[in-house]
Amino acid sequence: MKEVLLTILVFSPLLGMAALLLVHGTQERRIKWVGILGTLPALSISLYLYGHYLAGHSLNVFSEKAGWIRFGDFQQIDPKLFTVDYELSVDGFSLLMVLLTTVLSTLAAVASIHIKKEWKGYYLLFLLLEIGMLGVFLAQNLVLFFIFFEITLIPAFFLIGKWGYAQKERAAFSFLIYNGFGSAVLLLVIITLLARAGTTNIEALKYLINTEGVPLVSPIPSSMKYGMLIALLIAFGVKLPIFPLHTWMLRVHVQAPPSIVMLHAGVLLKIGAFGIIRFGLGIFPDQFKDLSVLIIVLGVINLLYGAFLAFIQQDFKMVLAYSSISHMGIVLMGLGSLNEAGLQGAIFQVVSHGLIAALLFCLVGIFYERVKTTSIKDLGGLSSVMPITAGFLLASAMASLGLPGMSGFISEFMAFLGLFKADPILAAIGTLGIILTAVYLLRAAMGMIFGKPKLQVNSEAVRDMETAEMVPVFILLAFIILIGVYPAVLSNPLADTIQNILSGSGG
Amino acid sequence: MTSIPLSAYLVLALVLFCIGLYGALTKKNTVIVLISIELMLNAVNINLVAFSRLGPSPSITGQIFSLFTIAVAAAEAAVGLAVLMSLYNRKKTVNIDEMNSLKH
Amino acid sequence: MLDKGDEDAMMEIAWIIPLFPLLSFLLLLAAGRVLKEKSAYIGILLTLCSFLFSVLVLWGRIRGDTYKAEADWLNIGEAHIKAGFEVNQLNALMLVIVSLVSFLVHLYSKGYMQREDRLPVFYAYLGLFTFAMLGLVISPNLLQLYIFWELVGLGSFLLIGFYFYKEEAKAAAKKAFIMTRIGDVGLFIGMILLFWKTGSFDFQVIFQEVEGGGITQSMITLTAILIFIGAMGKSGQFPLHTWLPDAMEGPTPVSALIHAATMVAAGVYLVAAMYPLFLASTSAMLIVASIGGLTAIFAASIGLVQRDIKRILAYSTVSQLGYMMLALGTGGYTAGVFHLMTHAFFKALLFLAAGSVIHAVHTQDVEEMGGLWKKLRITGPVFLIGTLAISGVPLFSGFFSKDEILSSAWENGNYVLFGLAVIAAFFTAFYMFRLFFLVFSGRLKKQGVLVHESPRSMTFPMIILAVLAVISGYINTPWFGTFLGSWLTEGNPYLEPEHRSGPVWIMGAATLVSLAGIALAYLIYRRNSISREWLGGEGSFLHTVLYNKYYVDEFYQGTIVWLTGFVSIFLSYIDRFIVEGLVNGIAASIHKLGRLLSRFQTGQTQHYGAIAFLGLAVLVIIFALTGGMFG
Repeated sequence: MKEVLLTILVFSPLLGMAALLLVHGTQERRIKWVGILGTLPALSISLYLYGHYLAGHSLNVFSEKAGWIRFGDFQQIDPKLFTVDYELSVDGFSLLMVLLTTVLSTLAAVASIHIKKEWKGYYLLFLLLEIGMLGVFLAQNLVLFFIFFEITLIPAFFLIGKWGYAQKERAAFSFLIYNGFGSAVLLLVIITLLARAGTTNIEALKYLINTEGVPLVSPIPSSMKYGMLIALLIAFGVKLPIFPLHTWMLRVHVQAPPSIVMLHAGVLLKIGAFGIIRFGLGIFPDQFKDLSVLIIVLGVINLLYGAFLAFIQQDFKMVLAYSSISHMGIVLMGLGSLNEAGLQGAIFQVVSHGLIAALLFCLVGIFYERVKTTSIKDLGGLSSVMPITAGFLLASAMASLGLPGMSGFISEFMAFLGLFKADPILAAIGTLGIILTAVYLLRAAMGMIFGKPKLQVNSEAVRDMETAEMVPVFILLAFIILIGVYPAVLSNPLADTIQNILSGSGG
Repeated sequence: MTSIPLSAYLVLALVLFCIGLYGALTKKNTVIVLISIELMLNAVNINLVAFSRLGPSPSITGQIFSLFTIAVAAAEAAVGLAVLMSLYNRKKTVNIDEMNSLKH
Repeated sequence: MLDKGDEDAMMEIAWIIPLFPLLSFLLLLAAGRVLKEKSAYIGILLTLCSFLFSVLVLWGRIRGDTYKAEADWLNIGEAHIKAGFEVNQLNALMLVIVSLVSFLVHLYSKGYMQREDRLPVFYAYLGLFTFAMLGLVISPNLLQLYIFWELVGLGSFLLIGFYFYKEEAKAAAKKAFIMTRIGDVGLFIGMILLFWKTGSFDFQVIFQEVEGGGITQSMITLTAILIFIGAMGKSGQFPLHTWLPDAMEGPTPVSALIHAATMVAAGVYLVAAMYPLFLASTSAMLIVASIGGLTAIFAASIGLVQRDIKRILAYSTVSQLGYMMLALGTGGYTAGVFHLMTHAFFKALLFLAAGSVIHAVHTQDVEEMGGLWKKLRITGPVFLIGTLAISGVPLFSGFFSKDEILSSAWENGNYVLFGLAVIAAFFTAFYMFRLFFLVFSGRLKKQGVLVHESPRSMTFPMIILAVLAVISGYINTPWFGTFLGSWLTEGNPYLEPEHRSGPVWIMGAATLVSLAGIALAYLIYRRNSISREWLGGEGSFLHTVLYNKYYVDEFYQGTIVWLTGFVSIFLSYIDRFIVEGLVNGIAASIHKLGRLLSRFQTGQTQHYGAIAFLGLAVLVIIFALTGGMFG
């Protein structure tokens, strides 16, 4: 069982998809139930994995491998040359990402109760998206990674383009074109690596590229390594997103249905960070070290640029979109500092922002459902009509601005801790972002929550949050506070991964 | 038997191919164009057979291959002619210049 | 007689003290809707528990020694960051002050907030704040202190914005959060720098490194200043003071608890807790003292002309906090902490009494009040006690602590600061008695309102505080002994035991100055024998500048806020036109290129064939020229 558990984990949403096919398209309640239940097998397996880890066992027993594709016949030289195997494996970092994915998938499935049409197609695509996301984090070679990476694009495209708001088509096309471009660049790197090194296995590549004197199929000059690292940064920078490749993501945040944005901001954007850490930093550690100042600078730009722009947005969803850009700057800053604190902060930020963004968009979905607007000007006084929603909204804004006791603070703190060691000047500039974050989040959140109720909000029909809606909100907030109060739940699984990465970069 | 050198076969194939190419690119009658394509195909067949007998590593593979080509070419000619027939039924012409509906 | 183990046992349970209010917060959040007005009892009871335990802990610390317990909280590589608690003299004293004032304010709010629908929410927030504040004062390391530091700010933010539907409350809450956060960033940077220089957040480790010369002198100065910036934000020191007067938009009990007695004193506490670091840098000490002195006189001068009773008290708080900083900056550790304590009592008393006045007359404008002495038979006298204490009239607590500060400034040899402090003392006495006479003497100006004394739940806390405002000064006097001073510095290797008695004339001068202030206020506002306009009435330049608080808010609005907005708009244009424009440009050019290339699609199969053949030919030629596969 353990040998195929990861495969079962990745493809378990298929079960839900099969069950969905048996339900008639008009049975709304039943489809939603099946859709939500369809995410549970993956959730329970990932929780089992975490339990297994907590019990002190090694995660290596879950690694699996099967022959898959072979290019040419090089049996005589090396049976592994030019082969692409189907290999899945899990370590502390990917375990966390998988947990993030499964938890957010289940919660987003619950939050999808606001979807108004074609529930069957929606949940089918939703589950397919989950397969892609899980595969991305578990794949052990670049080709397999790429395939899962592409699998996420297609369902996401349709989910945005079909169930979104007014300009959903434009958003979906932006999404597809930008990400397609990123994929193309990524594919270029993968093919080059396969052609030159004869393998795409991540561990093998780490060894082949960074060890002196290992013969390659054809040697990779140093300039090409830089080229490939920059290409990887571009490919994943589109996803993350890094300034100036971010505009597509604004549209997606605003136009996609909130339950999909939960997954999009919560997991899909994080694939960018995951890719940079796993492949950029993992395969090209020395080159990454040389470019670290550039990465820190990009991080600071992201942080401040997003913050300044979030400050003047009129639409709460736009505020959140720019805030995502700003928060991803912290990931880059942490990565660029290349020390334990910074890396740990970056990964914490990935998880923490995933949870916080999901929470915020879950709340956006809830109050949009009632007041039909997310414009800050039209809102106000939510506290009077929906005290519980408003309370949660304020709590999540606090989480987002890095209030201690919540996960955002831990990641921000560690990223800055790392950065102050690596580059105190840039770090000092970056701290401006801490103030700005508070400024724009308070402006937006207080604009909606405080003050007198506006016309939009004041109607009699507005009710407070229902119990079903409270479930995902409450769980997400609980996770955020858990990480904030007891960060060891994340830092322990990460310790080995971070050691592994840092030993690669020789620092 | 082996007095005829490989180059002679290749030159023959080349000549045939060029005639075919010329016909395929310039003739106005679609039937002629189809015939020219057959010519090019057969030029290739000659090459295959010639190399299978006189090439650096002679084997039967080339001849088998050319048999397949002939069979496929026959099928292709049948399909091509059928398409041409239905086109002629519609347009009452076999002039290739008038068959330009697949354009920008 | 207790043996050693019992004292440790008392302090071992110090961690439980913050948990009572936390429990109150969680309970009221979850069940507030069911409990309704019963929520108040939960809050009161649980903070009472905190107070009792704090007294136990203080007792334990007086009999025993410093107690510290820690556990690993977060590992970053080799570094282990710990969480835990510590009971030393300062912490134990702060525990009692905070939990006592918090308990009294909880009790007072029962009466003050009686008619409020959202009473459970109010008590929940109070619980959250008290939790954070108690957690702050027992933190054994900087990081933990920072965490609670921010949470305290959250509590303050929530309570200032309690009347969320009022625009002023909204703005004030936002301002308080952001202004303090600006200071917090200083603390944040200072903390991280110290971590990299000393390898720990732990106070003791940091002090050892500082003493052992592990850090360069310039780094000590830099970090001390950065940490002081954090303290400036929280304690409303110039130029980060503007949020504190605005914070008076919150309910009055909140002003008493947070913006007079506890949270705003956290900055002073921070400097006191990090004192060895400051002592190691004379320039940092000078900055602390200067900012403190400047703030003291600056805020006091604004307080002279304000009309809102709570704002007058707020500026007085800012000014008194400046005093404390001045004391710490001039080496008066005991003086600063002593004044922190006495100020906590008399300022909380004044705010609660002011709340009682507001409760009675439903206005905050002092010009509309008057003649309340006869109506408010309890509030009046306790207010007078508070006023006497803050003015530094002999025999009241403020007299002793203020005297201590003046002596400390004098002995430090910084006569400019000493002069500032003396003038500020004069101002304080003047504006406090101006306030007192305007509110309580003369005729009742507000007609038709039924003025009544507050319920017992409100008067009881005031009486307790009034008693403390009188007697708390006697634990550290030059006459009966400096118990507090010797106890605070005892066993602390970084602080030499102080036996500050100062020149006797300082005490006399301080008394004279405050009596002069009182006399002036009496002549102007009671006897009316000196015109109110004698130094320029309303509309005069001086009055306008003071009344508008030196235009600091307007200055910030015109510079920093404006600049932020400008940069934002500028960047949004970049985003819209350059970034987005670039992408649109690329998309458009690809579209054009496609149109251009589609011309080649003529529909003529033979053209396609010819082009394909040509392409092949070109490739073959290139292949042949470059030598092909074997090249």
